[in-house]
Amino acid sequence: MKKTLLTAFIGASALSLHAQTYDFAVSLPDYQGDASSSVSYGGQIARHALHNSLKKASKSGDLALMESYFSSKAEGLSILDPVSKKGFAIKQSSIDELSKGKDLKSSAYPGTITGWPGNLTGPEVLQQMVTNAANTKGGYDPVNGYDYTQLISKFTMGAVFYNKAVNDYLDEKLEADVKPNDKPYSKGAPYTGKEHVWDEAFGYFGAPINGLELTPKEVVQIVKLNPDYFAKADANKDGVVDLKTEMAFAHAYYAASIDASGKTDYFHTILQAFYDGRSVIQDAKGKVLSAAQREELKGYAKVIGVAWQQVIAEAAFKYAGSVYADLEKIAIIEESNGDVKKAYRNYVKHWGELKGFALSLQAAGRDLGRTQSQLDRLIGFSPVLFGNAQVVAANSKGEFTQSESVTMQEYKLNMLKVQNLLSSHFALTAKLNDRTGGMDDVLEQLKSGPSAEND
Amino acid sequence: MTTVDYGGWLINELSLAVSDLVNPSKRVSILYFASALFFAFVLFLFRYGKGAPRRLSALFSWRLWWHPSARVDYALWLGNRLILSLLFPKVITTLGVVTWLMFQLREVGLSPLAMTIPDWSVIALFSLCYFLLDDFSRFWLHWLMHRWSWLWAFHRVHHSAKVLTPFTVLRTHPVEGMLFYGRSLLVQGSLVALFVTLFPGQVSLLMIGGVFVATYVFNICGANLRHSPVPISYGKTLERWLISPAQHQLHHSAAVEHYDCNFGVVLAVWDRWFRCLQFGSDQQKLRYGTLSTLDQTGVFGQYLSPILFLGRGLNGRQAGLIKTTLVNAGKAKARETTQAKPE
Ligand SMILES: [Zn+2]
Ligand SMILES: [Zn+2]
Repeated sequence: MKKTLLTAFIGASALSLHAQTYDFAVSLPDYQGDASSSVSYGGQIARHALHNSLKKASKSGDLALMESYFSSKAEGLSILDPVSKKGFAIKQSSIDELSKGKDLKSSAYPGTITGWPGNLTGPEVLQQMVTNAANTKGGYDPVNGYDYTQLISKFTMGAVFYNKAVNDYLDEKLEADVKPNDKPYSKGAPYTGKEHVWDEAFGYFGAPINGLELTPKEVVQIVKLNPDYFAKADANKDGVVDLKTEMAFAHAYYAASIDASGKTDYFHTILQAFYDGRSVIQDAKGKVLSAAQREELKGYAKVIGVAWQQVIAEAAFKYAGSVYADLEKIAIIEESNGDVKKAYRNYVKHWGELKGFALSLQAAGRDLGRTQSQLDRLIGFSPVLFGNAQVVAANSKGEFTQSESVTMQEYKLNMLKVQNLLSSHFALTAKLNDRTGGMDDVLEQLKSGPSAEND
Repeated sequence: MTTVDYGGWLINELSLAVSDLVNPSKRVSILYFASALFFAFVLFLFRYGKGAPRRLSALFSWRLWWHPSARVDYALWLGNRLILSLLFPKVITTLGVVTWLMFQLREVGLSPLAMTIPDWSVIALFSLCYFLLDDFSRFWLHWLMHRWSWLWAFHRVHHSAKVLTPFTVLRTHPVEGMLFYGRSLLVQGSLVALFVTLFPGQVSLLMIGGVFVATYVFNICGANLRHSPVPISYGKTLERWLISPAQHQLHHSAAVEHYDCNFGVVLAVWDRWFRCLQFGSDQQKLRYGTLSTLDQTGVFGQYLSPILFLGRGLNGRQAGLIKTTLVNAGKAKARETTQAKPE
């Protein structure tokens, strides 16, 4: 009791001094350089900027432009997104200012992606999407029902950021025999092995360092570059938003946008665990972590991994609901012989988001058991197209084969099943765009009754 | 499965069974047993003063808990868990049924009600409907089990108990267990599908401490003593509405005049409606069982008994005994039983 009061007191006083900002001093006793901070994850932020830019480029139809952000590691690339605008100045305008020689493809999940036709690995799936996107107008393929902008973006976030953080940095690299804490990460570096591993995972999440002080709504507006929130974003008051420390990207943005519904707290939960875990490493003062300390660290890593996975599943849940609603709209328009073009475009876009997030769940080496094959089957390789067809296979050139499928009506039922499956397997709470009427919560309650007992 | 897997599975299933003893959502939970005892003690103290402890003493005898009939109860309880976990992987889940039904309801044009209804009234309405439909369907299936000989063949396993202990509630043939699972699938599936279609996102069950309110009250008020040697009557007025432990014990009675009465679980109104309600008494002294060789049969014989029973034709106690004459006789009997036989 005393101990908790004391820590609470220390915690509160620390909070009032410099809050819980993700910034830590150099802990290596023998460090000779002049750096004051031991936090560094420029490479991760560079990849976030590459991803944002690739998303923009995917609409251009310019393969060379897309490849430059996707796989070239080239120098001199300018950042296509986010870029400065009136009332919202951004510090960096080129990738090199963040880090040099980085790409997305080489960091993607190397395992097989069962949810995409052709039995391809993560990098191969992304490469195929990028190549195909270049052959479309604005990244949109109405024939197969693919919105490549959405597919590339959502799947990159999973296969690169989520995979590297959860499957690599917060997993294997927390072991005792790799990246020790009593040595610099590399010769002359101001950070230890473990410090840097943890920071790289933090970088991939994509949150600003003062995220614990921001509300989810503020984070969402900062990502949208809303000038009204510039003051909130510019934490160090230097008049520009530094992409390395003051911007949110990828899943950090999705966590915040889901939390903005008021039902969940994924963003702060993940950030707090990152902060607390980093504090454990910091407290070791440049010495090897004890078994107990590594256990504690793994505890925080687990919190991060679970909540991060939930964020992706919540996003997939939300878009499954959108796909359901789109199918309803299409049916109504068809009944009145209206023009379904716009509704169909939305349907394909939302399906791309659903598919991208669903594929992400299987791109981090985590065993989803039967849930994975069920998701694959229910969602399929493409949305159900007019004439009740669906993509069933792809050849080595990335050309797709369609075959007869369930009707669009029946595909709606699949979306309900997808929502139920995601909700139960990942224990979701926000459940935005719920089309199931909240049935699984009711059924969970009914389980408390003695259903099979008689008298 | 390898031998190791089997061992693990066996241990897992058995430990799950034991964990039911402390799970507040299970009838055999020790908590409910304790609360039932407390309920009975207070009631008897009020009715009989110093005589109260003596009336409960039968519950504390090893003769009851280690009676050959009670041992069959335990064996069936554990055996059923193993059999049902093997034979019954629940391919058809309630969630699947509800999803499909809700989809069908929407396809035929049922949509959320246009007016807004406050959450609490949706919860109250849903809880009430669920309670009534659940209780009635239990009554009705139970009634059928006594009426149709091929169902009675399975249900008589429950009635072959010569002594009643709280574990007798689990003394059932696995086929009966499956029928009851099907019943709950149907009731829950249709009701939840209807409600989430009409009131999406608003449907919820009224709960206390993680358990449905009605189940909770039912268990607190001595449900565990329905299968016990202690007759507890609620008095004639209340027994017209709620089935008391004494009334369920009459249902188990081997005496002809008690055959096919009191099928209900919570409410007595269904029995009144079907004209088969009898009143209980704190003073009743009953013999239990089917008066057939089944009463002496061990656990394996119990499992096989339906086949033999159906093969041989009806034997011992007859199925389908609901007859007007008998009901009238029962009514007369009910008057008798409430007029206490002096102890
Ligand atoms: Zn009984
Ligand atoms: Zn019966």
